[in-house]
Amino acid sequence: MVEAVTTTFRGLLLLTLLVFPPAVFGHRLDEYLQATLVVIEPDRVRLQINLTPGVTVAEQVLAQIDGDRDGAISRKEGAAYADLLKRDLIVRLHQQNVVLKLTGSDFPKPAELRAGLGIIQMELTSTLGLLAAGVHTLTFENRHQPTVSVYLFNAAKPKSGSVQITTQKRNQNQSAGEIEFTYERLRG
Amino acid sequence: MNILTLLAITVSMLSFVATRLQAQDATPATSGRNKASPSNPAVGKATGEIAAAAKKFLATLDDAKRGRVVYDFTDDAQRRHWSNFPTTFVKRGGLRMGDLTQPQRDAAMALLAAALSPQGYEKTLQIVEGDEILRKTEGETIFGRDEYYISLLGQPSTIEPWMIQFGGHHLGLNVTLVGAQGTLAPSHTGAQPAIYELEGKTVRPLGRETEKAFALMNSLDEAQRKQATLRFQVRDLVLGPGRDGQTIQPEGIKGSDLTEVQREMLLDLASEWIGITHEAVGKAKIDEMKKDIAETWFAWSGPTDKAGTAYFRIQGPTVIIEYAPQRMDGDPTQHIHTIYRDPTNDYGAKWWKQ
Repeated sequence: MVEAVTTTFRGLLLLTLLVFPPAVFGHRLDEYLQATLVVIEPDRVRLQINLTPGVTVAEQVLAQIDGDRDGAISRKEGAAYADLLKRDLIVRLHQQNVVLKLTGSDFPKPAELRAGLGIIQMELTSTLGLLAAGVHTLTFENRHQPTVSVYLFNAAKPKSGSVQITTQKRNQNQSAGEIEFTYERLRG
Repeated sequence: MNILTLLAITVSMLSFVATRLQAQDATPATSGRNKASPSNPAVGKATGEIAAAAKKFLATLDDAKRGRVVYDFTDDAQRRHWSNFPTTFVKRGGLRMGDLTQPQRDAAMALLAAALSPQGYEKTLQIVEGDEILRKTEGETIFGRDEYYISLLGQPSTIEPWMIQFGGHHLGLNVTLVGAQGTLAPSHTGAQPAIYELEGKTVRPLGRETEKAFALMNSLDEAQRKQATLRFQVRDLVLGPGRDGQTIQPEGIKGSDLTEVQREMLLDLASEWIGITHEAVGKAKIDEMKKDIAETWFAWSGPTDKAGTAYFRIQGPTVIIEYAPQRMDGDPTQHIHTIYRDPTNDYGAKWWKQ
């Protein structure tokens, strides 16, 4: 029954795409938007990543997530996809790779992803220990699904007055970038 | 049943909730008016007029419709329930304009007219009319002026916090009023088509902001332009719908590095968003922004030889505005997304949050 519904759904979705081509919808359908916000704190770095597959690339993305093809994204499958993403991210502080740990995630229902409306949210955190005072450089590169992806890469405005972002650099498509920041221990 | 009807039904079945897209640091659910906040008598007067228009609108509704249009003010899920997508893809709460009788619809639009400035109301109508053009040219029922929704959070009041939401495809207006204080943040405007003909006239719903930004960028000298330019593509809004509670590090050229004339141009550009709301609310916000103008940044990514083809951003201590032409349609000038936020006070939270 589930399979029949899924098949019908996919058929209707395909029909929808044929009748409503991308230009009609006017929304990103054939690209995978990967937006990374880098939150730098005195003792850790958090990557808040929003992943939005367009409707025509959603199956390609889902194929990497829903490993058992049961139409649902289990916690284990979500964690496995986070691992896959982590392997495609290169994050370095002072040219040393940092270890990222999945600290939050939200996966929409596969049907939402197939409709191009779901956003996968992940937070990957690296615990740094307390930073040394002075200038620091964090570099980032995202190699996940490069042929279909559109990237955004931004430093969040620090909430702590002890961290100041001094420079942000990106490559042309924002798949890679560098954030220079200072850390100063605040007194009292 | 023809294929389009079938597909419309299918698409309707895919009614997804935009609110799951929210950031983790979104507005807290707790509420309670902050009575210590400063107030503005002109905004207080406006709130009274808008509340009166809202009560008139509610009086046109039967109990069932009234029950569907008014949410509790503490309903954060509904508060964040806005999107740039067509309503068949992301179902909105409240009442669909196409389901209202003509008197109800007139009263809803009168409420909107009361809550917005004349220019803001005109812009709103032009965005909606653009969607109607899209419906006619594409023959799709998922677009059009019937597909916009209105909702209220809380009861219209001159004292207690309440909110008006009006939105649909390319439009998400969130007007929060708390006695003598008000805000339009966060709100989304967009346009597709962004240029169209109606009754022999060329209409550009976002034409003024497009031209003003282009003029500002072209007023910069070479050194200023170098500062303002982001040397990478920005293909979409960074803080669009679903990014509540997040703030990015500002980039570009700082207001302190602009001339007095350019600062005025920057304020005038920002007023295209801030001024959508009632004049009293807009003036209060522009006055606030003026105080921070030296700390307000302007950034640009993209061509400088044709208006409407580049991304730009305005970011100050209490304002973030982004304008992002959508390149997936071929002609970026025909499809635009924008966002207006107040990183310190989206949904007026500082006035009512405990």
